[in-house]
Amino acid sequence: MTDAIRLKAKDYKSEVKPIWCPGCGHFSVHNAITKAMAALGIDKDRTVLVSGIGCSSRLPAYVDSYGFHGVHGRGLAIAQGLKVARPDLTVLALGGDGDGFSIGGNHFIHACRRNVDITYIAMDNEVYGMTKGQASPTTPMDWDHSKLTPHGPGVRPFKPAALALASGAPWIARGYSGNPNQIAKLIAEAVEFPGFSFLHVMSQCITFCPEQTDWKAIVTESEAPPLADADEAAKQFLHEDGFQTGLLYREQRATWPPPGATAAEEGAPGKLAAAFRV
Amino acid sequence: MATTATDSALANFLAHSLELESEARERYGELAESMDAHHNRPVADFFRRMAAEAEHHLQEVAALAGHMTLPQLKAWEFDWPDAEPPETASYEALHYRMSLRQAMQLALANEHAAERYYREFANRTGDAGTAAVANRFADEESGHAAELERMIAALPASGLHLREEDDEPHMPE
Amino acid sequence: MSTRYLSIAITGAGGAGVISCGELLLRAWAREGGRGLLRKAYGPQIRGGESAALLKLTADERYTAASRYDAVVALDWDNFTRFEDEIVLDADSWVLCDEAQALPPAVVAAGARVVDVPFDELAAACHPEGRVNMLALGVLGRLLGLPATTLAELAGQKLAGKPRDYRDAATACIELGAARDIACQLPVPPMGNKGAWYLSGNQAAGLGALEAGIRFVAAYPITPASDVLEWMAGGLERVGGQLVQAEDELAAINMTIGAAFGGVPAFTATSGPGLALMTESIGLAVASETPVTILNVMRGGPSTGIPTKSEQSDLNIALHGLHGDAPHLVLAPLDIADCVFTTGWAVQLAQRLQTAAIVLSDQFIGQSTAIVSEPRRCAPFAATPAQDPGEEGAYLRYRLTGSGVSALVTPGDAGHRFTADGLEHNEKGTPSSRQSDHQRQLAKRQDKLTAFDFGGDWAQIDGDGPVALVSFGSSAAAVTEAANQLAESGVATRVISLRLLAPLQTAALAAALEGCSRVFVVEQNHGGQLFHYLRGQLDFGQPVHSYALAGPVPLSPENIAQAVATVIAEATRS
Repeated sequence: MTDAIRLKAKDYKSEVKPIWCPGCGHFSVHNAITKAMAALGIDKDRTVLVSGIGCSSRLPAYVDSYGFHGVHGRGLAIAQGLKVARPDLTVLALGGDGDGFSIGGNHFIHACRRNVDITYIAMDNEVYGMTKGQASPTTPMDWDHSKLTPHGPGVRPFKPAALALASGAPWIARGYSGNPNQIAKLIAEAVEFPGFSFLHVMSQCITFCPEQTDWKAIVTESEAPPLADADEAAKQFLHEDGFQTGLLYREQRATWPPPGATAAEEGAPGKLAAAFRV
Repeated sequence: MATTATDSALANFLAHSLELESEARERYGELAESMDAHHNRPVADFFRRMAAEAEHHLQEVAALAGHMTLPQLKAWEFDWPDAEPPETASYEALHYRMSLRQAMQLALANEHAAERYYREFANRTGDAGTAAVANRFADEESGHAAELERMIAALPASGLHLREEDDEPHMPE
Repeated sequence: MSTRYLSIAITGAGGAGVISCGELLLRAWAREGGRGLLRKAYGPQIRGGESAALLKLTADERYTAASRYDAVVALDWDNFTRFEDEIVLDADSWVLCDEAQALPPAVVAAGARVVDVPFDELAAACHPEGRVNMLALGVLGRLLGLPATTLAELAGQKLAGKPRDYRDAATACIELGAARDIACQLPVPPMGNKGAWYLSGNQAAGLGALEAGIRFVAAYPITPASDVLEWMAGGLERVGGQLVQAEDELAAINMTIGAAFGGVPAFTATSGPGLALMTESIGLAVASETPVTILNVMRGGPSTGIPTKSEQSDLNIALHGLHGDAPHLVLAPLDIADCVFTTGWAVQLAQRLQTAAIVLSDQFIGQSTAIVSEPRRCAPFAATPAQDPGEEGAYLRYRLTGSGVSALVTPGDAGHRFTADGLEHNEKGTPSSRQSDHQRQLAKRQDKLTAFDFGGDWAQIDGDGPVALVSFGSSAAAVTEAANQLAESGVATRVISLRLLAPLQTAALAAALEGCSRVFVVEQNHGGQLFHYLRGQLDFGQPVHSYALAGPVPLSPENIAQAVATVIAEATRS
């Protein structure tokens, strides 16, 4: 960190104002990202927020850093390409449950496996908000508020933490939109963690799932150190109710690509061409 | 310069007070902007007024702290009774169709929470000087609360089904 | 007819090694200054299936598939029927095989001259590890006048990783084959200049991309593009770049976009099914004005189609596959050597115009190997006058400019932070659904392509006759050959081979067609995709005919010439 003037959280907000519904949990994540950036003293010019499509994917425009608002489900792929090409940058990928676990599900599991040093924040409100409230891969099976699935989706929801663990994610945490300061702390740790860090945020949707205001009563905060044993974590992630927050799992694992992989060989392009000469 | 116990207790208190008031100001400002975006003008104006009051109080605290070196705490290192500072309205407590009465009741709850926080701090601290400042802040919050209660009493009754509406939500993307 | 080239097919099954035999023969031929092409044909098995090495040794570098074969070296006849459509024999053909094996009916019917070479027996007698393909290599080397020492040396290099015994056997078999007197005369074409290159179109495209500055590749394997990606994996390590193997083509294109957003020139390669998956995000590159280059090595389609065979049937999706109005670049290399130039050009155009470039190569030029003179390169573009991103905090990423191209900064540049967006946006990049912003940004993205001066490389034009033969990409060689044949029968042609398909240089094309009485549009697909595209883009003042024939058999110059001649004859009669 330099001796430059210390920026406050609000200095990391852009001049574009969020259009989320008042009462939306994503405001908390926006707040937390700026607080974490301020606490880390992050250089705005060397930070990129990448997202897909959905309510939460609007977030990059609201932060005063570089940003890329891509297409539905592909934020993680863009973020990994960027980080691999530009290891000097701090890269955060953001998105919702539909974006990350449904249309982008393949990218999610492979990002966990690949372990590129980025932070992924999935804002999970168990619903597609931009398209009028359809069930997502994390919606409870009996949630019958959508015209598309009037009897509920009828299939079991994903357990994102378990999915991440099985796919090899070395850092798994959960936050709750009612506690932005905890989310901020987790984001700061995630950014500093060398490797793929997955932060699952239970973020309420006031418009389509007003019943989620009840989450406040059931969320618990873990004070225990994160698990480092995958067997133990698997048991917990498969059987928990999904409302325990905090850093849940952490292991040290080599990131990809290996550092310093892109040193050029002297006169290389010419040598490549020369190899084709008979 | 040597630091006395009084300095240290007061510095910790003022750091918390500054964070409490600045978070309240920021939050009310954000909530006002978000209500602007959703065309709830009366509530937006009210939140803006609350932001201005928080700003006013923030300046008072800042003036008191002007000569002191305060501890530099990260957002999550402060010691609050709840997840967020007492005067900070939760993002999640809002609805775009909330009435002015509901907005004022939310603010009233915040003032009460702030009063409680300052009073408890005064009772808890062993430092008489700090306790005096904390009690003074608690009295101010109490004054704000009384003012809000008067404003709420003067409001006409609002409907019981504010969240009901005829149009379906939009599909922006 | 066979005076211009010598065509040799080497066929065999069960790991006989016919491809290696063909490669070594062509390499030895190259050493002597010869020119030639090697195509490879396979059965569906991954290992042990029937294969054919299809060689065409020529006097020049106009490489088309041979329309008939001067010689077939059949190490066995297992499943030869698979190749019957491609390996056409006649009474002038020679067949070298073990007479103890029954000839396929098609070979008998052709009346080809058969020479008995008991490959199995000779190889077994020569060395316990004796290999029939090395024996054939020696035999063919002798017929072509190639020194056995060169063949043995090249085989030694290729087999460097194999056990000593195995290598010794190869040398012994080559020597035995080279010493054998075969009652067969082949019309050997003259040699060209020495110092040529030996490479495939896929390698050439990879080289063109790296030379043009590509330093990031995201890759998902697909036939017939995998070998571009494999070659680039090694190449990138040496030039100081990075390759990521993606989980699917959706990831590959988006990783490419991410790297490009970071300011690192980025590339991916795929084939039809992969291109179909990528199209949504190519639209993102267009809308967000992120420069990316996508090499599409076309194969038979639709769906899984014919993965191992060539076709030019992805023109429609490359031109029109993106939703919305999404102007972008579409280019097509004309031959193997031109893959270096056209891919390098595409990369530079994409970077300069901040858009997506799709390069349409195909399996024929991609996976065939040829001996070519040093390929022409696309000269590095002159640096653009530096565009000022403006005052700190006042940067407009999508600013409306005269050229349509806006100043581009990348993360790390101080004070010009912005969010790139696939949502329609205003000049700053903020999402907007306003009529005025949409109209202006659409026009900007179109204008920057329309206003750019692409110079003279948009097409290769040969001849000035009144009959125009228009094609794109790899059809150029067959069309040029057809033009030569037509010239022999008194039909003067003008061959226009399009390298730049979008934006189509309509004014230049109209000028090139000036004075033509008739236009033939030639392409290797079923629907006449180029024909319909050109008719939509250009008001032709003369009759336009479509010659469209899908794969898998390559376009035949003879058939093209005949079709053209027939139309002209009919027109003259009526």
